Amino acid sequence: MPKGTVLVVDDEAPIRDILSFYLKRAGYQVLSAGNGLEALDEMGRSRPDLIISDLRMPEMAGDELCKRVKSDPATRDVYFIILSALDGTASRIGGLSLGADDMIPKPFHAQEVLAKVDSTFRLIEMQKEIKRQNKELTTFQRQVQEEMELAAALQMGLLPKLPGEAPGSRYTHRYLPAAAIGGDIYAILPLPDGCAAVMIADVSGHGVTAALISAMVKTSFENQVRLGGEPLAWAQGMNEDLYRSTLAEQFATAWLARLDPVGNRLRYVAAGHCAPFRIVGGAKGGLQRSEVLQGKGFMLGLEVQLPFTEHEAEFLPDDRLILYTDGLVEVEREDRTMLEEAGLRRICAELPAGAEAAADAVIAQARAFNQPAPFVDDVTLVILDRKA
Amino acid sequence: MLNIQTRQEGTASVVSIQGKVNFEVTAQLRDVIRETVATAQPKLLTINLEGVSFIDSSGLGLLVAARNSVDKSGGKLHLCCLPAPVKKTFDQTNLTNYFSIFATEQDALRGA
Repeated sequence: MPKGTVLVVDDEAPIRDILSFYLKRAGYQVLSAGNGLEALDEMGRSRPDLIISDLRMPEMAGDELCKRVKSDPATRDVYFIILSALDGTASRIGGLSLGADDMIPKPFHAQEVLAKVDSTFRLIEMQKEIKRQNKELTTFQRQVQEEMELAAALQMGLLPKLPGEAPGSRYTHRYLPAAAIGGDIYAILPLPDGCAAVMIADVSGHGVTAALISAMVKTSFENQVRLGGEPLAWAQGMNEDLYRSTLAEQFATAWLARLDPVGNRLRYVAAGHCAPFRIVGGAKGGLQRSEVLQGKGFMLGLEVQLPFTEHEAEFLPDDRLILYTDGLVEVEREDRTMLEEAGLRRICAELPAGAEAAADAVIAQARAFNQPAPFVDDVTLVILDRKA
Repeated sequence: MLNIQTRQEGTASVVSIQGKVNFEVTAQLRDVIRETVATAQPKLLTINLEGVSFIDSSGLGLLVAARNSVDKSGGKLHLCCLPAPVKKTFDQTNLTNYFSIFATEQDALRGA
């Protein structure tokens, strides 16, 4: 098998013959042409890896040939070496500025040409290898991309279907993951006694690992709720589940609650999660009194048998609950300030009626506050309106 | 940008952190802490958070993991000089009760 194909272009037959002789003896396949036009003609039939061309030739000179080869996308990767009797730096620069890859001054030594051809072919081989690897990488990247898109669709499927209906309430969400998939999750489940179980969680980190753990958090929550009991027991059970199945730096902040539309109460456990707001009469829209559902607590998955605390609050008809993850309020602006809890609370105190319109307003106002900075962490917002 | 400095104080190692501790920089900080624990094998690792303007859940996770790894090697982890925003995050997550936290670096080093 020849080492590669070289096209020798020169109007002097003896030069073509000498170069051909040495190159063939070194194992190359050699094509030849007497001027630029003949060379283009030859390239229409076969594809050389390298062209060695004289400059001064009848019909079409070497500089014109070089320009044509290098301006045609189909041939511009072909290596071009100019053979030139015009020695000196000026003509070298002139040749290279035409787009030639290298120059050999005339008169030349056949051995010198051969050495140059050999080194050029090493370059060509390297480039082919890089192109091959690049193609492999591109294919791999596309596969990963496709898998991520599939995972993102699956993750969206983990979220409650909208419009959301829970005993005595309606709700909606806005879910904006930082990457294609994220570590935020929430769930709202009806309970046999007419109450609703609510959970929102934010898994540490981003991306695939966080997404996998978020699915685990949801399953764990569903299992705990099925066992009956109160949010305190759910938090303890989920903490153990998560501690057993995750690595050192993986845990989740969460807020768990049981909403009782008959007793007009809600019981909740805060596990390191940002405190939700209760907007008294918020479902009616307009400016209303807001309350932060305070509570301190460890994150889930940190350590087994950590103590959690259960809290209680009123939950009246027309009340609105705003649950969110920290990505919504922790975008640093150019002036280094962030929206934070206080800013979001101001926004949430005056929203339109209807959970959908309210959710749009919150996201729009948070974005407007952050301008021009985008959200950088996963962002989840859940708005739940108690029916009248 | 995160600026991390380490130094030895007798059998204690002190790691001082300046900047925002979030997901982008946890790898860098993790390497420094890991290396400090592995090479100095300190009886006490003190992390000075005075220059930290913000810490997110990844950063908290890293500190928890640091405490666990120091515990395992028979040492102690002390945190000191928490600025107000960091203190707030620690309060919310109850980590104030999980870590040994000191007001000054001297207190943290004495409290061994």
